[in-house]
Amino acid sequence: MLDHTADVGFELRAATLEDLFDEGRRALIMVAFERPPQDGEEERTIQLSAPDRETLLVRWLNELTYLIQDAGFVPAGTHILLEETGGAGLSLIASLTGAPILLEEYGWQGEIKSATFHGLDVSNDDEGWHAQVILDV
Amino acid sequence: MNFERLGQYKYRIPREGKMQVDAAFYASEKILDDLVAEDYASLRQLQNVATLPGIVEPALTMPDIHWGYGFPIGGVAAFDPREGGVVSPGGVGFDVNCGVRLLTSDIQRGELERRKDRLADALYEAVPSGMGRGRTDFRMSREELAEVLVEGPAPLVERGFGEMEDVGHIESGGKLSGADPEAVSARAYERGLPQLGTLGSGNHFLEVQYVDEVYDEEAAEAFGLREEWITVLIHSGSRGLGHQVCQEYVERFLEAAPRYGVELVDRQLAATPIESPEGEDYLRAMASAANFAFANRQLISHFTREAFASAGFEEHRLRLLYDLAHNNAKFEKHAGREVLVHRKGATRAFGPGEEDLPEEYRSVGQPVLVPGDMGRYSFVLAGTEGAMRETFGSSAHGAGRKMSRRKAKKVARDRDVVGELKEKGILVRAAGRATVDEEMSEAYKDAADVIEATHGAGIGRRVARLRPLIVVKG
Repeated sequence: MLDHTADVGFELRAATLEDLFDEGRRALIMVAFERPPQDGEEERTIQLSAPDRETLLVRWLNELTYLIQDAGFVPAGTHILLEETGGAGLSLIASLTGAPILLEEYGWQGEIKSATFHGLDVSNDDEGWHAQVILDV
Repeated sequence: MNFERLGQYKYRIPREGKMQVDAAFYASEKILDDLVAEDYASLRQLQNVATLPGIVEPALTMPDIHWGYGFPIGGVAAFDPREGGVVSPGGVGFDVNCGVRLLTSDIQRGELERRKDRLADALYEAVPSGMGRGRTDFRMSREELAEVLVEGPAPLVERGFGEMEDVGHIESGGKLSGADPEAVSARAYERGLPQLGTLGSGNHFLEVQYVDEVYDEEAAEAFGLREEWITVLIHSGSRGLGHQVCQEYVERFLEAAPRYGVELVDRQLAATPIESPEGEDYLRAMASAANFAFANRQLISHFTREAFASAGFEEHRLRLLYDLAHNNAKFEKHAGREVLVHRKGATRAFGPGEEDLPEEYRSVGQPVLVPGDMGRYSFVLAGTEGAMRETFGSSAHGAGRKMSRRKAKKVARDRDVVGELKEKGILVRAAGRATVDEEMSEAYKDAADVIEATHGAGIGRRVARLRPLIVVKG
């Protein structure tokens, strides 16, 4: 987690880009809940595409935020598939398992308005993939 | 960071690098210390804003400046459409028309103290806060919502959710022109429909306060503020509908910006010319979201009035003093030319004589509402001619955070913030502990420092100070 004065930020690191996106989900859940569910019976599928990795990560986090806050579904586990769609473009298919939202039980921490593009960079080096994300809360 | 002092509270950052114009900021010595402590992160964001095409000098921040995303919080930037000026959804923010409204009353503090617990409970019940607490007593069809997106609160008032006088006491009459419900996506409708009339969480709140000090008798009289009288301050915005509008248009603008040769030093500043299909679509959607936010605060006011009545204050009237936006972009005339003024965490603060002001405030200037933190105080200012000359008629919007939310929660972990506030005579009703902890007084700068710089620089005139008695949080 990053110390941003007005909002909330986190740094992600993972061996693969798919894992980086799952780390993004985990970080988002940690921002939203103190005691999030570890599993669940419900299933959802998300399909997204974007012209670049950064936009796809923002869309992914915003879609998860929508699922949590507007659809009342907390994604506890994912299986993510990413595919290149030409140029820098990417598509994502994610199978999610999760549980209905229980605000008190999960220790809800407050609404998230959106993931932002501010300072966002998804890149890789010898140690794997990394990204930094600031959320507007 | 290269800047020079122009006055006791005003500084200039000369144009350098990709900046198109000079930038200016307002700060007291204490605020300047905070900027040094953050290694000028927010001033660098201000420099980024100054790189956008068609910006009219100067790029500005108000004294409550702090680190945001894209624009700094407290940012004000005007763009000239005839000089290729741009519009930036990130420069308005995700919570389009997040803003505040202040209700006044003739209830005396002592009278309220006798029914304080009852009123706190009634308000918490009447105004859903947090998440998943939609309204059960108010339903709206998609068609009715579309009407609200175009007209703002007026249709709600016609249906009995307010007083006829309310609408005239809202910035721009509660209706930004050019709104088009067709520019708002189905997802935004879906998110907005159950949330009309709800507070949300984070820094949103409803506060019952009393006027504890009046600094400017003439303006206070015009605004209807008297010492010891009760006021209600409501802080909320366009909820999920506005967030969705901003998300969609930031992404669309990122794709479009290169086609117009707009170079972005920060992708969150994604912008296109005002006079482009993308720019015009966004302004239509943004106006719709802004009108939703005005209507949201209208509905919250209605249920606040009902809560007061149910707590034994049915003989008293809650009058709307003013409602204003903190996050928007509006066409205004400054120095003889029409410009699109972006305010990101800043308040319009028109000076005396401006036509857009309600007649009863026109001689003293626009009411400017500056919330502080829930343990100390908020302020009411009046707009000034100085603001019209220097800041495109803008002023501060709040105290400004100085501690991250994560750090605030850590500091509050072994404390009972609600209990501490109760000791000070402030009752808190909240959906959860987290937002109370992260919004604790110490997480914010002292609003008095912001007001010192604002008043001292002449971009807002101090009128009155309000102290909290009841706080409802998400």
